[in-house]
Amino acid sequence: MSLFRPLLVRSLTMVGVFFVVLLMLVLTLGLTGFSDRILAATIGEQLRAERTALAETIRDPDEMEKVLEKRREELEIFYGLRTPWYYRLPRTALRVLTLDLGEARSLRSFDGSNRVFDIVTERVPNSMLLLTTSFVITAIIGVIGGSYLATRQGSWLDRFVSGFAAVSFAIPTWWIGILFILVLSIQLRILPSGGMYSTPPPTEPLPRFFDLVSHALLPVITLVLVSFGPSIYSIRTITLNIAQEDHVKIARAKGLPESRVRLRHILRVAAPPIVTGLMFGLAGSVSGSILVETVFNWQGMGRLYYDALAGTPDENVIVALTFIFTLMYVLIRIVLEVLYVFLDPRVRYTD
Amino acid sequence: MSRANALRVLLRSGPGFGGVSLLCLLILVALYVLLVFPLDFGESQWSNPVVWVDNPKAVPPAWTNTLRREARPPHRIFEGAEPHTVQMARSGPVHSWRFPLTYASSHPPTFLAVTLADVKYEERPPLVLISLKRPDGKQLRIYRHAVRGPREGESGPFLRYGQTPLRVQLSTDEATVTAVQNFLADEFDLRLDGAQIGGRVDRFLFGVPTGDSEAAFAPLTGDYEIIVQAAMREEGDSVGKIRFVVGGAVFGLMGTDSLGRDLARGLLFGVPVALFIGVIAALLSTAIGTSLGIASGYLGGRADITIQRISDIVANVPVLPLLIFMLFIVGPSLWMIIFILVIFGWPGLTIQIRSMVLHLRTNQLVEAIQSLGASRRRVMFRHILPQITPYVFAQLIFGAPAAILSEAGLSFLGLGDPSIPTWGQILEAGFRTGGIYLGYWWWIVPPGLCIVLTALTFMLLGLGIEPVVNPRLRRSPP
Amino acid sequence: MTSLLDVRDLTFHYADRAGPVRAVDNVSFSLASGGSALGLVGESGSGKSSLALAIMRMLPTNVARYDGAIWLNGQELLGMADERFRQEIRWRKLSLVPQGAQNGLNPVLRVGEQIVEPLIVSGTAAKREATARALELLAYVGLPADVYDRYPHELSGGMKQRAMIAAALILDPPVVIMDEPTSALDASVQTQITNLLKRLMQDMNLAIIFITHDIALASDVCDDLAVVYAGEIVEIGSADQVLLHPSHPYTQRLLASIPRLHDDTTPQFIPGAPPDLREPPAGCRFHPRCPLVFEPCAQKSPPAFEPEDGQLARCWLFEDGQG
Repeated sequence: MSLFRPLLVRSLTMVGVFFVVLLMLVLTLGLTGFSDRILAATIGEQLRAERTALAETIRDPDEMEKVLEKRREELEIFYGLRTPWYYRLPRTALRVLTLDLGEARSLRSFDGSNRVFDIVTERVPNSMLLLTTSFVITAIIGVIGGSYLATRQGSWLDRFVSGFAAVSFAIPTWWIGILFILVLSIQLRILPSGGMYSTPPPTEPLPRFFDLVSHALLPVITLVLVSFGPSIYSIRTITLNIAQEDHVKIARAKGLPESRVRLRHILRVAAPPIVTGLMFGLAGSVSGSILVETVFNWQGMGRLYYDALAGTPDENVIVALTFIFTLMYVLIRIVLEVLYVFLDPRVRYTD
Repeated sequence: MSRANALRVLLRSGPGFGGVSLLCLLILVALYVLLVFPLDFGESQWSNPVVWVDNPKAVPPAWTNTLRREARPPHRIFEGAEPHTVQMARSGPVHSWRFPLTYASSHPPTFLAVTLADVKYEERPPLVLISLKRPDGKQLRIYRHAVRGPREGESGPFLRYGQTPLRVQLSTDEATVTAVQNFLADEFDLRLDGAQIGGRVDRFLFGVPTGDSEAAFAPLTGDYEIIVQAAMREEGDSVGKIRFVVGGAVFGLMGTDSLGRDLARGLLFGVPVALFIGVIAALLSTAIGTSLGIASGYLGGRADITIQRISDIVANVPVLPLLIFMLFIVGPSLWMIIFILVIFGWPGLTIQIRSMVLHLRTNQLVEAIQSLGASRRRVMFRHILPQITPYVFAQLIFGAPAAILSEAGLSFLGLGDPSIPTWGQILEAGFRTGGIYLGYWWWIVPPGLCIVLTALTFMLLGLGIEPVVNPRLRRSPP
Repeated sequence: MTSLLDVRDLTFHYADRAGPVRAVDNVSFSLASGGSALGLVGESGSGKSSLALAIMRMLPTNVARYDGAIWLNGQELLGMADERFRQEIRWRKLSLVPQGAQNGLNPVLRVGEQIVEPLIVSGTAAKREATARALELLAYVGLPADVYDRYPHELSGGMKQRAMIAAALILDPPVVIMDEPTSALDASVQTQITNLLKRLMQDMNLAIIFITHDIALASDVCDDLAVVYAGEIVEIGSADQVLLHPSHPYTQRLLASIPRLHDDTTPQFIPGAPPDLREPPAGCRFHPRCPLVFEPCAQKSPPAFEPEDGQLARCWLFEDGQG
């Protein structure tokens, strides 16, 4: 019971974020006249298709134009192009919400579907794989490294890591990825330069898995390399602050073994702020993985952005991606919020 | 702390000193660029292929030759306006230009190209001839061009190649191929067909047959001479400009990209742009973040709640997808990028400033001053703001690298402002055209290094300034 | 008769950037037996909390000097190996209720878990016995049984203080060090806690080292009082002696600075500030603030003289009486 309220409050904030993003999407589409342009293009395409069909029955070009003009009117009313965009706004929002994301212009899903829903959703697991793997590895390195460094405050290693963490903020993740490709894939030919599987992909499950791992290695290393410095550093600082609290002194006075003091009286207490730190880092990880997917041609949603932006942009795909990314982000955030509420008894009652 | 004292503390710390020196360097470079480069460099030069047409494509920097055992041919450009000599022939004056070319490389040039501009004649068009004199004494005419005659209804004097100069890529020019074919047949008794010569003209012109096989040529090093002659018909006829390019396999300080653009120039232009993006975006988002934070903490009540709700939500939004989306919708322009970065850049600061203001307001000193009858406003500006300012200043500095990195990332996705080249866009071009898979490191590494260096400058400055603004840090912990 | 706890010439300095900080210097005192209490009284920054930590051997990493002797039940503690000290002495023989006990509880663990933790970790008792013992103690310190399953933030300041006391008693130690156990509490709760302490000493035959800045409070609980100034004990004696016949000028000033009810005298402040323990004054450390300062004070640090039986004072004024 006591868990329920704070969970609800925190989840509602994230749902709020989600709806605000949705609103921003729809408003931007409407205010800039972009949705009108998309609709007009859709109608134009439909008319072109119908023209070829009608050409079978109608020979007279004038009559053809008349029929088509009438048809255009019908379609414009049907799609709501005759009414201002804000009347269409709720319907657009609802469509996006129900994942009715329209059709792609030129992009296709792996099995050839042109439904945006198919194109985007089949890439969600790929993105999640990269994002969560690197996120979890970063978190683990951060916790282990951070709590170790907290015991070596002021040592050269401590100073090195804090310097490294500061430098990390100045390095574009994706550029590190490019350097890796340049050196490890192109020059030394140790690891594949991109994609998720070799061509042709291995069919046996085990070789297929190892093939995936070898392809995932560079993107994951890239993502971890740029984020683990700040992660270690912030966890070190959190741990150090907690190690100076009175209850830790008492735990030592109790004659508890040092390992137990570290685990239950420092790290366990540091867990909630560490999770908060991870939550702040998450937004950065999402951005990082979009760019790193692009660099490594990882068939996830981030790479899809790049492909959708290239050449003739695929508007529907871009709208859908932004929406699904937000959805994914909000879901991971809610998981972390739940974790936080479980880790920190203080929020369970004060909310 | 006095300003001079603050500066001394800043300069004495390692990061502070590094940051200040790097920033000075960057500012100097930016000033140089602003003085030397046209402001519309992006449109008039960078994305204008005509400017770069005579450059070799995707070649490494010239200094890489010092690292290589076999030097690659450098890029040579010969230009002439006034003729070197004028001789009178029966048909009229002959203007000639002689360009000496010492060739020491074991590779042939990558291409040969000639450009004519501003040809002027009174009645009958001049004839342009180009010959190559080789170190072995052999000489051949590689190009012959009759300037276009008067059109119907046109009256003299006639101007040709004024707006668009005539540029001929000799390496693939049919007449040149035929000339080389004849030359090989006459001099070396080699009979090759056009397909064997086309595109590889340079190897034959700058080489001698090895005898191994018909088309096997070894480079011939030594002193060459390029002789350009223009046979005029009248006294006043002239060729305004002549330009002969011997394409190199290395170029300039930073090499070229696949369009032949001089990367050094692109990288230089990126300096003021990056500084501009970083400073303006950080300045605006800090200004908004600070004023909203102060308003929130100072006004309290409904305004506070509203500002907090909004900043909570904006702070929790996954920024990059929305940045991509909005830039895509409104179209890529540098101002738009800065505007959007600012829109998403303020909430963190607002939340922090608010809690600082709240904390300071309940501070005993401030309460005491208030109880002595100081107005809220006076308390705000005299007692709260001065305590926040140093912190805001540090945040301002830390905000710059974030903006620079974001712009680079967006440019890398293809959302950069096409009229203003940035380092991110150079990288994007290198990536999209496959430069990285071809190992064109000079196209990939320097722009990234520039981004890192600039972002690092601000990070170091920030680290150096932290102890200045935060006295607690001035002494390191025991 | 050997006493329960005998501290001899305990010295503890730690290194700071500017040099060693003489937090505890040549401190000697003893606790006769269970059921008695010694009050360590001093201004904040006088080194009394450092003394508590030095006795518990809770030293920082930058310790510069740590010597002297501590005899507990005839066993010398300073020479004991760290690991053995941790297993045999901490909490078993000496436990601690820290200053600001508000923060002495781990915020994310239930109170009961924290009370039984030493019992269970040391393997002395099974979970069920440990719980039963903890509930007993909770009841004894006046807390309801459901506190066992609550988190610290759900308790009031007084409740946390009682819970800390219960925790300190879980291994039945003969000596408990209480560092300002009542300083953050309001007056009525303060009285409840001091009454609890008195009860404890009687019922459990507990010896208490009571550290406080409040000399009146100390005299309420303690049989003996020691006045700490700048890392040294300047005067020690029975509570009556110290309160009624303070010998050391510092003690006299300290007593004069306390506001009294039913009295017209205005409290006197002690001029000056306590010295920086990095560079304490030469000779008697109180001499720059002392109204009775004379020649030898700045020259040599005074040894302990005995102005009255059982009352010791480090002050040159009593050199003559000593002979």
